[in-house]
Amino acid sequence: MSVQMGFFIALAAITLWSGYMVVAARLITHAAFYMALSFVSVAGIFILLNAEFLAAAQVLIYAGAVATIIIFAIMLSNVREIRSDADCPPGIIQRLSLNLRSERLGILPVVVGVIFGLAMAYVYLKAGWTTNAQPAFTNTTASIGQELFTTYAVPFEVASLLLLVAMVGAIILTIKEGK
Amino acid sequence: MIPLTFFLILAALLFGLGIAGALLRTNAIRMLMCIELMLNAVNLNLVAFSHYITPGVFRGQVLAIFVMVVAAAEAAVGLAIILELTRKRKVIDVDRTTLLKW
Repeated sequence: MSVQMGFFIALAAITLWSGYMVVAARLITHAAFYMALSFVSVAGIFILLNAEFLAAAQVLIYAGAVATIIIFAIMLSNVREIRSDADCPPGIIQRLSLNLRSERLGILPVVVGVIFGLAMAYVYLKAGWTTNAQPAFTNTTASIGQELFTTYAVPFEVASLLLLVAMVGAIILTIKEGK
Repeated sequence: MIPLTFFLILAALLFGLGIAGALLRTNAIRMLMCIELMLNAVNLNLVAFSHYITPGVFRGQVLAIFVMVVAAAEAAVGLAIILELTRKRKVIDVDRTTLLKW
């Protein structure tokens, strides 16, 4: 087993475990931190895939920005149940905990997730892609910049417009009405 | 050398976790987190394909950057909507925000 394989298995285990904890953690703040952990370990997997730029962007955007604004939203919303299931009335605890006998909130979503994962794994194992045996190491960041500003210049501008619209929309949505 | 299939199966499992979480949880913020997990799995697939199928061409990685842009925009607008929801109606449970159901 090569060193790469060892790193891959460790990172995959961390990713899946923290992804599971995002779903299953009792406190939503813990779920947010587990989400950041899974983002960081996916960034490690990006490095294994020779995508350094994306790994850096993943840490900056996902683990940095998205996780932070989710934690901010948790702190800013004053609803008690958002912080912990323990503060809720007993009925809600039962609905939020993993009750496998309940159809809507237990067995059905789990079955859907498991079936999806297994079906896709089966497809991937059966599909015979011709993969490059030894991918060459190249300067990824420069090449991505080249592509982004030549071939994909228009999508790039549209993406920046989308970000601007999202920013303005978020500000407009959270403006308090009246003074 | 790690086979391509390993990355793809990892991404599929991560996506399955995200689907299960988004359907299982009724807390709006946790659903948003599960959607981010799913987008992450898609990014993983794109980068793996880009690395193994078309090495030297970075289309998959460029597409992954656009997925990140959309994920960031979605998180910002989604959290703004959720904040407004908690401010106006004092609920975060999507099962109890049924105003548009009728």
